[in-house]
Amino acid sequence: MNFKLVYASLSITLKEFYRSKASMFFVLLFPIILMLLFGLIFQDQGETVYDLHVRDLDGGLNSQNITEMLGNTEIFNIIEVGDEVGDIDDAKDYLTEHKLNAMLVIPEGYSDGFDAIMIDRFLGIPTNDTVDVVMIYDPANTAAMTKISILNSIMDGVNKAATGMPDVLVLEMETTVSDDFDYIDFFAPGIIAMSVMTTALFGTVTINTELRQKGILRKLATTPLSRSEWLLANILYQLCMAVLSTISIILIGVGLFDLNPHLNLFLPLFVILNVFAFSGIGMLITRFVKEAESAHAAANAIMFPMMFLSGTFFPLEGMPDFLQTFAKVLPLYYVNEGLRAAMITLDEGTLMTSTIVLIVLAIVIFILGVLLTSWKHD
Amino acid sequence: MPETIIQVRDLVKQYGDNTAVNSISFDVNEGEVFAFLGPNGAGKTTTVEIIETIRTATSGDIQILGMDVNKNRTEILKRIGVMPQDFSSFDRLTVWETVQYYARLFGSDVDIDRLLKLVNLGEERDKHYVTLSGGLKQRVGIAVALVNDPEIVFLDEPTTGLDPRARRDVWEVVKDLKKRGKTIFLTTHYMEEAEVLADDVAIISKGDIIAHGSVDGLIDRFCSTIHVAIKGAGPGVKEIADEMSLVSESLGNGNVQIEAENNEQVVEILNSLKNKNIGYGSVDIRKANLEEVFLELTGESLIDKGDAK
Repeated sequence: MNFKLVYASLSITLKEFYRSKASMFFVLLFPIILMLLFGLIFQDQGETVYDLHVRDLDGGLNSQNITEMLGNTEIFNIIEVGDEVGDIDDAKDYLTEHKLNAMLVIPEGYSDGFDAIMIDRFLGIPTNDTVDVVMIYDPANTAAMTKISILNSIMDGVNKAATGMPDVLVLEMETTVSDDFDYIDFFAPGIIAMSVMTTALFGTVTINTELRQKGILRKLATTPLSRSEWLLANILYQLCMAVLSTISIILIGVGLFDLNPHLNLFLPLFVILNVFAFSGIGMLITRFVKEAESAHAAANAIMFPMMFLSGTFFPLEGMPDFLQTFAKVLPLYYVNEGLRAAMITLDEGTLMTSTIVLIVLAIVIFILGVLLTSWKHD
Repeated sequence: MPETIIQVRDLVKQYGDNTAVNSISFDVNEGEVFAFLGPNGAGKTTTVEIIETIRTATSGDIQILGMDVNKNRTEILKRIGVMPQDFSSFDRLTVWETVQYYARLFGSDVDIDRLLKLVNLGEERDKHYVTLSGGLKQRVGIAVALVNDPEIVFLDEPTTGLDPRARRDVWEVVKDLKKRGKTIFLTTHYMEEAEVLADDVAIISKGDIIAHGSVDGLIDRFCSTIHVAIKGAGPGVKEIADEMSLVSESLGNGNVQIEAENNEQVVEILNSLKNKNIGYGSVDIRKANLEEVFLELTGESLIDKGDAK
């Protein structure tokens, strides 16, 4: 391995990158968009306020009370609907017409019914009577489902309070994480893992298929540059890209979304291992899949399962057992776990497992890359 | 006796059932321009890449600079310079940076500016590769092939796709290289290129070398016809040809073309014109060219096939 040749190759690829405003833009754009997107989505996690349209057909004191109470929970932003809704059917039309996903209708007679039950209770007369409120919703809308379950738990509280009995079972919650972390802190490691993977995998595939098509690889084959020197120069180039995107993710997170991660040497370590593993995989793809389009398809085929199955977007717990087992053979799973441990939980066991798995993987892939790829064509 | 610098014996290259190169043998001598002439798909690039060590032969013995291509790859690469077919380079590196990069790969401290002057790229040194015209790009390719001061320079189709002027510019560079004592292995499907540059021509068709020799030698051997075109002639010219039992063709407007077989017959035709007092506008005497040799040997045209990419 002649490091002068590695350095020469690295410096020309970096020079080309620096001079291409377009590739610079895209290398930085992808992680930034992801971070902005998820940052905005999870910014107010826990303090989300849902709009709730309410049509009070009763207009009595009790119906005003319940509307006010729902408003006071600070979960719902109550929007009262006026006279244009006269009954349940009107309400359904109104929902469709105004593209709303849910409306709470308090029927006429609610206040009187409520009073009657309360008087019975007060007098000790046993009764099974109930008063109803009606929730009209769009079943295809997940926000409507959330609203229903929140309403349900509020009503449970109301019902329990009406019995006058004290609580027996109380759920206390404590996090495993010592410091005060926001949801974005849990998400950032996953975004770093994923954008570094994407950059390394696609960057390697794109550069090498392009250079092959232009005949530059053929020319390089006639120089003393060895395949492993070229491989290493490529990996180092992708590492520079990975550092750029990691830094931009962290800067945006810290600057805009109060990201507050632990910063230690494990972060660069996992970024490096991530790059080695996935540029190596990219090199192997371009060795065996020569056409640019098929090579990109192959890279996609590798990337998508990783994105969805390694715990970046969806927790693994809800998945079928075989998928969970499958996830544990995916390299990105260990990058995710490792980065999360490095930046959030500082769990030593996870740090060690991920480090060892990824080091072994990176070495194996690099060796495969050196052994299997050769300048010679058949 | 010139020294043999490349020796190819019984080279065979098969792709599955398809034989690309069918047991060819030839020598290239030191200091000469050797042209591998043939239409696209004839097996030129396959052969040249096997000699350059970047492709493996199915069988055969190939020696270059006295070394076996299968055993001394590293050593061979240091001593040859290659411009591959359809040469291209990094878009956003300048000409100077491109040459510098390849020089660094060879660990060569060549004077890059002098090298650029040699291929007439002095003024383009700071231009990005992507902005250059086709002819200039090819000259970058030649400069890059020279960074290690190679003993043999391989130029695979160096002028394909260039306009006539750019082609002549590349030819000048090649001639200059020859003057500097380099051995040049040229593949081309332009017979004119071979005629202008080559000391030695191997004509390859469908994986076989069908003729090998100097340009004049090949023409004399396979297509010795001399075309004598007599323009604006009075009557009686065709009779001269008939008397000498030569093929002639009337081209209209008093233009007649006679196919002479040797120089003596040309003189005889001219003498007859004079003796018989036949007036004429002009006489155009032209030897056959490699295109006609190829046509004679294969029954196919070199240029049509070559340009129908």
